[in-house]
Amino acid sequence: MELERNEALVLKAIVDGHEYSLGELVEKTRLALPAVVKAIEGLKKYGLVSVREEKSSEYSLTNEGELSLREGLVERKLVRELIDAGGNKKVEDIETQPKEVAIGWAIRKGWVRIEGEGKEKSVVLTDKGKEHAETPDEMELALEKIRKGEDVDRKILEMLRKRGLIELEEKVERFVRITGRGAEKAREIKEIKEEITALTPEIIRTGKWKHAEIKRYDVKDPVREIYPAKKQPYRAFLDEVKRKLVSMGFKEMEGPLIELEFWNFDALFQPQNHPARTWTDTYRLKYPSHGRLPSKKLVERVKKTHENGWKTGSKGWGYKWSEEIASRLMPRAQGTALSARTLASLPEIPGKYFAIARCYRPDKLDATHLIEFNQVEGIVIGKGLNFRHILGILKKFAVEVARAEDVRFYPDYYPFTEPSVQLSAKHPELGWVELGGAGIFREEVTKPLGIDVPVIACGLGIDRLAMFKLGIRDIRYLFSYDLKWIRKHSSIITL
Amino acid sequence: MPTIEVKRDDLESLIGRKASSIEELEEWLMWAKAELDGVDDNILKVDVKDTNRPDLWSVEGIAREIKGRLKIERGLPQYRVESSDVEVFVDKKLKDIRPAIACAIVKGVDLDDEAIRQLMQLQEKIHHTFGRRREYVAIGVSNFDKISPPIYYKAVKPKEIKFPPLGYDEEMTPAEILEKHPKGQEYGHLINGFSRYPILVDSKGEVISMPPIINSNTIGKVDEHTRNLFIDVTGLRYEDVLTALNVMVTVLADRGGRIHSVVIHSPDGDITTPDLTPKEVVVDANKVREILGVEISDHEIVELLKDARYDAEVATEGKIVARYLPTRNDILHWRDVAEDVAISFGYNDFLPEEVRIGTTGELSRRELLSDKIRELMIGYGLQEVMTFTLTNKDVLFKKMNRKEEDVVKIANPVSSSWTTIRNAILPCLIEFLSRNTHVEYPQRVFEVGEVVVIDPSDKESGTRTKRHLAIAIASSTASFTEIKEIVDSFAKQLKLSFDYEETEDGAFLEGRRAAIMLEGKRIGVMGEVHPAVLNNWDIEMPMVAAEIDLEEIFRVLK
Repeated sequence: MELERNEALVLKAIVDGHEYSLGELVEKTRLALPAVVKAIEGLKKYGLVSVREEKSSEYSLTNEGELSLREGLVERKLVRELIDAGGNKKVEDIETQPKEVAIGWAIRKGWVRIEGEGKEKSVVLTDKGKEHAETPDEMELALEKIRKGEDVDRKILEMLRKRGLIELEEKVERFVRITGRGAEKAREIKEIKEEITALTPEIIRTGKWKHAEIKRYDVKDPVREIYPAKKQPYRAFLDEVKRKLVSMGFKEMEGPLIELEFWNFDALFQPQNHPARTWTDTYRLKYPSHGRLPSKKLVERVKKTHENGWKTGSKGWGYKWSEEIASRLMPRAQGTALSARTLASLPEIPGKYFAIARCYRPDKLDATHLIEFNQVEGIVIGKGLNFRHILGILKKFAVEVARAEDVRFYPDYYPFTEPSVQLSAKHPELGWVELGGAGIFREEVTKPLGIDVPVIACGLGIDRLAMFKLGIRDIRYLFSYDLKWIRKHSSIITL
Repeated sequence: MPTIEVKRDDLESLIGRKASSIEELEEWLMWAKAELDGVDDNILKVDVKDTNRPDLWSVEGIAREIKGRLKIERGLPQYRVESSDVEVFVDKKLKDIRPAIACAIVKGVDLDDEAIRQLMQLQEKIHHTFGRRREYVAIGVSNFDKISPPIYYKAVKPKEIKFPPLGYDEEMTPAEILEKHPKGQEYGHLINGFSRYPILVDSKGEVISMPPIINSNTIGKVDEHTRNLFIDVTGLRYEDVLTALNVMVTVLADRGGRIHSVVIHSPDGDITTPDLTPKEVVVDANKVREILGVEISDHEIVELLKDARYDAEVATEGKIVARYLPTRNDILHWRDVAEDVAISFGYNDFLPEEVRIGTTGELSRRELLSDKIRELMIGYGLQEVMTFTLTNKDVLFKKMNRKEEDVVKIANPVSSSWTTIRNAILPCLIEFLSRNTHVEYPQRVFEVGEVVVIDPSDKESGTRTKRHLAIAIASSTASFTEIKEIVDSFAKQLKLSFDYEETEDGAFLEGRRAAIMLEGKRIGVMGEVHPAVLNNWDIEMPMVAAEIDLEEIFRVLK
């Protein structure tokens, strides 16, 4: 066995065969108490020392006891208060707390008496009280003695305990003695080098380290857990999605959180009486309630498309379109509003655009619903795009973003695309999941916005994937308010 | 989207074939854009996704669609409409109240419980979605045998007549029904703004129904013994009520009923309803081939349309005439027909084609710069968080010890906690920290996110969405110097230079707060958070914080 430096120090200190307390060893070895304790544990394991335990109990001060020792007992505070007040004070005006305890003990000790009745009841200082004003009484003296570990009368101890000023503490004192094997081992120890716990500039400069032993660490000792500052986990996931979309050639679109219904619905050919536009399905603003519509030319085209199809080859919805409804303001309800804006602002043709759009819907907030959420929205604009390209894009998304092993397509319905598709992808761990929807924008959407080529629109539902990646079951953790969870959560997220 | 419950054996018996497995049934349902949401033994919960096709919101309608794709019954579904001598006279006073009405008689129905349940379910779904909660369409079903034609659709004064509404024995005036009957309370707003209410009575003056609220409890009541039904559909537009009536009568005919028409004498002229004359659409086959990306012949398109329950024929080369049942009013454009062709073709039988458009992808400039800023913040040892943007004035102003400012106000909040969108991030960050007072300190967090401010100079919405940065550090040693060091270093890293001036802001301690200035313009604030604010949030740890409007930085940065 190879003894550590501290173990050797302790063993050398007790080589005379006497029994030593831990306190004595701290003094003899100049090691700290925990180091002595650790060394003894090691020595005991090797059978080099024997340890005897002596159990004892002793009184110690409680927090309140400490306070009483520093500032005096409450009854003494009461006496001081009365002296300041000229010798007496109405009970209801007494400030010393707890009032009843202070008055009770002061009466018991004969320091005060009560005079008067009801509201006039007052506390009067006695002569004995005046006498004792500044001399500690036996209780206070006892507190001091207990603090020092001296003996105190049992009756007073009991009173102090009942007042909660002291408590009985169990103590174990340990005594160490060297064993025969220990003595043998001690003889082998020749020189104990000076030990360095931490390198300092001084030690390095002077070269002192050459002659000293550098304290060894137990590399298996556990350490405190610390956390790096890092990206929020859901943001880290969204960053990955963005990176992927950019790598696929998509440019990012931007738009305001407060939208005109015109962009959120009308430009997307959702009729003004569409169920999704009702009070219960979409937020509206009370202030400001209405905005201003974009250019007259564009508004006129959208209006006519809704009313009679304009030049889109459609019959239109056949109702009277209202500018008032279109100019209502709302927190954006679908990312598609951004696509409508992009199409209206002379986009590149051919072109690919995407957005991760914060959207709002009046819903409850629980483990499966959010009141605001992010929608991934993408559009591809280009001559000759057709239905098979929608499937191609969706398949690529499924493979790139969700590592899908297989995909299935299903008919679906969106007010603004025709034909429309739903994408189901087979995720290696999640199994079949609905990953999003897509379609070719209706001509009722694209033509009024000035686009004469097909535009594929897709929306990706990535929150389920995000929940899987983040290992959460409660969707609220995407916007987690739990700092501990965020700190512990790894930000290493790959798609 | 309408969710309906159907019985599996009922569906299979209407289709005329049993599915070998629930998976096969699921595939069939997809043809009707319907998704299986739940299976409980024989009961299937089905989401029908198309909110524009009431003809698919019943087990009968779904079966009709599936039969085509399974080639059990193709082409236009056939329904016979016999005429009757029943007439309905429409009061011209209804013109501005609820002018449109279409009626039909369906005889010889033998409705079992399931058929009645389906009928009521369909009625409810049409009311809710297609009828926009009865405003556009309301359907009444009553016992034809108890009605003495002709029938009058009239406008009566709220207290002019009395009758027992469905479910009640006592007679009430229309005004009382709006006040007392649950349906009156729910739908009364559709008519109570008028001086007269719509009512449907027979020649003896017996009330059939009071559209769009309730039927009468006498002749307007139907039970399992009823064999001959009278159906009335009222609404705002003739087109809508006729479509809804067509949907109702075809479903009843699928259950063995015989449809009889009724003549409606309206102020605009006489019409006969229901009208199941097929609608016609002419489609350019080349466009269909182009949008679907497949080389299919005109003839193949015709066959695929027959699977989708159209009658179709090639008129001339490349031109197809398709006819469909007027239970649909969703076909506005040739693309709607193209989708039906695609569904018949089979979505998974198309070969996916990669888009070969070479474009350069990129993040927006604001996002790129935001990412750099986030990196810097993490470098300062600040943990990124993401909080909700929906909040309330209590959080934004009162708890922050700040004067109330103009912010957007949501008209229909679902909770008093979410009545506005934040105009600053810092209150949300402090709210975040207030929920973590039990977690180890120091706590150092930041967020880069969106806020919305009122800005009359914005041409469209009078609001502006801006990106902000907010930082909060709660620690026993937090000091003004610490936050200023970060803010100042941040500026230098961006190759900018900030100036600092004393400022007013109740959220921070006087003498320990500063406005952050960039090129003479105030872009943010920082300082030691006021203990009163910390008390408001039950936070006991000293805190320093900063918030910066990044839009100005984006503008200035080269």
